[in-house]
Amino acid sequence: MYDVVIIGSGASGGAVAYTLCKAGYKVAVLEKGRLLNRKDFSKDELAYCRRDLITPNLFDEYHTIDEKIEGKWVSKPTYVSGWSFWNGNVVGGSSNFMSGMLHRLHPDDFRLKSKYGDIEGANIVDWPISYEELEPYYALSEELVGISGHYQAHPFEPKRSTPNFSQPPTKENAVVKLLDKSCRALSITPLVTPRAVLSQNKAGRDACYYSNLCGSYGCSSGAKGSSREALIQPALATGNLTLITNAHVKSLHSEAKDSVKYAVVIDTITGKEKHIEGKIFVVAAQAHESARLLLNSHNKYHPSGLGNSSGEVGKNLIFSGGGSGQGELHKADLKEIKFDELMTTGLFVNRSVLDWYFIDDWWDGKFKGGSVEFMFEHQNLINRARKDNEVDGKLVWGKALGGHVKERLQTQKSIRFEIFNDWLPHDDCFVSLDEKHKDKYGMPVGKLRVEGHPQDVKVGEYIATKCEKILEEMGAKNIYSGVSSSPPSNLIAGGCRFGNDPKTSVLNKYCQSHDVSNLFIADGSFMPTGGSVAYTWTIYANAFRVADHIVGVLKKLT
Amino acid sequence: MQRIVGQRASASFEKQFRQREAILEAVQEHLFPQGNDLPSAKTMKMTAFLFDTMKHASFDKDIKAFVLEGAKELDSREKGKFLAMTQSQKEASLRDYETTRYGSAWLSRIMTLSMEALFCDPIYGSNVAEAGWKFVGSDGGFPRPQTKYLGV
Ligand SMILES: Cc1cc2nc3c(=O)[nH]c(=O)nc-3n(C[C@H](O)[C@H](O)[C@H](O)COP(=O)(O)OP(=O)(O)OC[C@H]3O[C@@H](n4cnc5c(N)ncnc54)[C@H](O)[C@@H]3O)c2cc1C
Ligand code: SF4
Repeated sequence: MYDVVIIGSGASGGAVAYTLCKAGYKVAVLEKGRLLNRKDFSKDELAYCRRDLITPNLFDEYHTIDEKIEGKWVSKPTYVSGWSFWNGNVVGGSSNFMSGMLHRLHPDDFRLKSKYGDIEGANIVDWPISYEELEPYYALSEELVGISGHYQAHPFEPKRSTPNFSQPPTKENAVVKLLDKSCRALSITPLVTPRAVLSQNKAGRDACYYSNLCGSYGCSSGAKGSSREALIQPALATGNLTLITNAHVKSLHSEAKDSVKYAVVIDTITGKEKHIEGKIFVVAAQAHESARLLLNSHNKYHPSGLGNSSGEVGKNLIFSGGGSGQGELHKADLKEIKFDELMTTGLFVNRSVLDWYFIDDWWDGKFKGGSVEFMFEHQNLINRARKDNEVDGKLVWGKALGGHVKERLQTQKSIRFEIFNDWLPHDDCFVSLDEKHKDKYGMPVGKLRVEGHPQDVKVGEYIATKCEKILEEMGAKNIYSGVSSSPPSNLIAGGCRFGNDPKTSVLNKYCQSHDVSNLFIADGSFMPTGGSVAYTWTIYANAFRVADHIVGVLKKLT
Repeated sequence: MQRIVGQRASASFEKQFRQREAILEAVQEHLFPQGNDLPSAKTMKMTAFLFDTMKHASFDKDIKAFVLEGAKELDSREKGKFLAMTQSQKEASLRDYETTRYGSAWLSRIMTLSMEALFCDPIYGSNVAEAGWKFVGSDGGFPRPQTKYLGV
């Protein structure tokens, strides 16, 4: 029997495995995907970005998504829509493929309700912990995962226990000169984005070589701070980690009300079922799948799902998003920098704006806003060549196509902004079990209802207007933005919120089930509200905090 | 059992593809004709790429059926005469097909799959001698894949 069995080897599972293995405990990580290593991480756009090879085939494993049609909820399987909610199912999970733009939450994100009050139709609550309790773990993940950056004091930049990042920022494209100048002209403060990318070599991992294709691709130098690279590999080196790949966990089996006995695992190669026993179980399958696993693990003690006496499992799912926009910087009217500099590949934009994190304006009012990330349009060739390949609603082909493609790719570069605001938790955003649809293992698939709250759209539009002004100031052309209540499928949290009251929350403040004492959830499921930045630094930090608590629990057991 | 079912499905796909191959090839060659700067469908072996990529297990089976069906539909709209048409007749025929919602979606799909052929890694048998990448001054990115479809 293992001391701890972890389901999922992504950002959260890796942080727990690392801590427990370093503390000398015997850990099994059950990962449904296979192990891909640095040598496998090529820049093969077809394989990584255009086929389901690092995620399950949608006809085998999928979700159903609820859409409101003529006032009624109708659910559509993702194999029909092609809208996948899988984000990377290999060792290291989605963290292999992230862009790595990371931010800490602001202290007020932990007390949104007391600070800003209720918002109609939103289920906002304060967190049972404060920023100060999580701060040491933000610092720890910064070091272990390898987050590079440069601290600049800003009213909405949270305080740090260390003066600055130990790794300086990654190299930047000259476009930042233009971006910084344009922001300043509008009295906006551009900040350097902290990034889970090494700018310098670090213990067995090589610095970034600016491959130009980062997000959606794995890293072949070890620079990206994926769980596989930064945490699973060192955990394996302790000799305490048993990494079981191609191991899909169907359910968790209990023989007593208060505990899980074993994980029911399908070997995805042979189809054989096996049972893996542990003293403690840590679910880290990414929020929507973790909630589904608990619901699929219902038993006579927990008829509505494991650890679901509150009825809250799957509820209040949240996403990190808020809208995005883009503009083209053309050779003909580029200011400040040379076109060759702009077209230099690989270097990062590395800029974010926190000025609208909280809005307190005599005209616009006082409300919680969001953060903004600037970046180049994704550099995938097939995608870019195919995009905008229409004139007056007709495809461009034949003789005209070559010139069109060249113009798109060689005479301009598009700069993007992405907005992250609080995806307010509410009753029409949750995961439940689909009553009809089952995956290839015979288990009900997760049914997601993913509506946004109207306030999120309002905030998104407010910020998008400001960002469009920045692009205008930069001299960009064909600027557009899109703000909708449709979620990004790669940044998911909530669904098993933590809290002090077992009647209204699934987990206690240590992310331990209120109902089942040897069950923890380490991924973003715990988050009752999401803050206005992408989640992953918080997911890493919290998983380290949870792991420290589990070490304490294990010490008491022995 | 699963393997046998898989083999049967793949044999039946091959048969259906071969029945429509000429029309698919003619459409791709019309979209990416020879004699321009942009590498052509013929030199880039786009139709062979189409067959290989659709045959692979990772390809969406609904899209696969759509690609084949749309070719059949074009053929029947033109009463089997598409292949014999002149360039300008083909142009008129495809532009007319494009005015239908179905035809527009189908042509768009063929364009996407042809762009995949033009800009994918040459390991997939297309983008021959990196001609697609060279056309837009790209090196495709490093490292390059050692196996197709991650070895799956
Ligand atoms: C393209 C992309 C770009 C991103 N960019 C950013 C960014 O810039 N900034 C940011 O903050 N975040 C970013 N993210 C999000 C980030 O990757 C995730 O927030 C983070 O990895 C989530 O960690 P996790 O542990 O919850 O899940 P994951 O890292 O996804 O790990 C979950 C693991 O559990 C496994 N699993 C699931 N179900 C089972 C089961 N039943 N049995 C066994 N194993 C199972 C999965 O296969 C997976 O490996 C990005 C993600 C993607 C895909
Ligand atoms: S080398 Fe740098 S840019 Fe390329 S994947 Fe790794 S971290 Fe990203």
